[in-house]
Amino acid sequence: MSADLSRLLNAVGLLAISTVLALAFADQLWFRDLPCPLCILQRAGFFAAGFGVALNLILGPKPSHYGIAIIGAIAGGAISMRQILLHIIPGTGHYGNDVFGLHLYTWAFIAFAAIVVGCAIMLLDDRQFSRAEPMSVRLKALPLSALLLFMTLAIANIFSTVALCGAGLCPDAPKDYMLLDGM
Amino acid sequence: MMSLPFVLFACAIGAAWMRHRGVSMGFWALGLVAMLVLFRLHFTEVLMIQL
Repeated sequence: MSADLSRLLNAVGLLAISTVLALAFADQLWFRDLPCPLCILQRAGFFAAGFGVALNLILGPKPSHYGIAIIGAIAGGAISMRQILLHIIPGTGHYGNDVFGLHLYTWAFIAFAAIVVGCAIMLLDDRQFSRAEPMSVRLKALPLSALLLFMTLAIANIFSTVALCGAGLCPDAPKDYMLLDGM
Repeated sequence: MMSLPFVLFACAIGAAWMRHRGVSMGFWALGLVAMLVLFRLHFTEVLMIQL
């Protein structure tokens, strides 16, 4: 696999992560399904994992960048697993709307597992890491749009979280935006 | 406080964009630590997994 093909696949991966984050935002804004603290931390987990993929796009593919993505995905997966376990026994309730029969934290766990598997598969090909093949310095359209979307979502999450929780910790089940409530 | 990981990860992406790899890794590590500390702070509910 050439470095450019690796970069293309990483761009597709980053777009997939950004799509997950955008859908979570759509659920929050459209259906007023406000995220709980663990849900917010799972979003942060996607940024932690996506950062490794973004590094592959900006600085070129490296095993350490895939390692960053895997560590981020494991941290995010631990948080989503915690939330699944909170509601695993029937009758212990759930948080938020379900999508195709599964709640968002369950989908998040599946997505984190997919990131780990995807990175492991990408790591199988060593040729992308060789320096023999020159890599185009300027980012092409798809990697650039993936990066811009990812960055935009990171900034949007900063504002959304401040609006929801203010300067402190979030309530366990937020009913309204704390910052907007005080106005 | 909950937005701290997002701020740090955004700084990490910004630093990587400017090709400061070491700085960006530092921001990422701080973001991950902030995320895990916040996770610990919200670790208040007891799991009910006994049958």
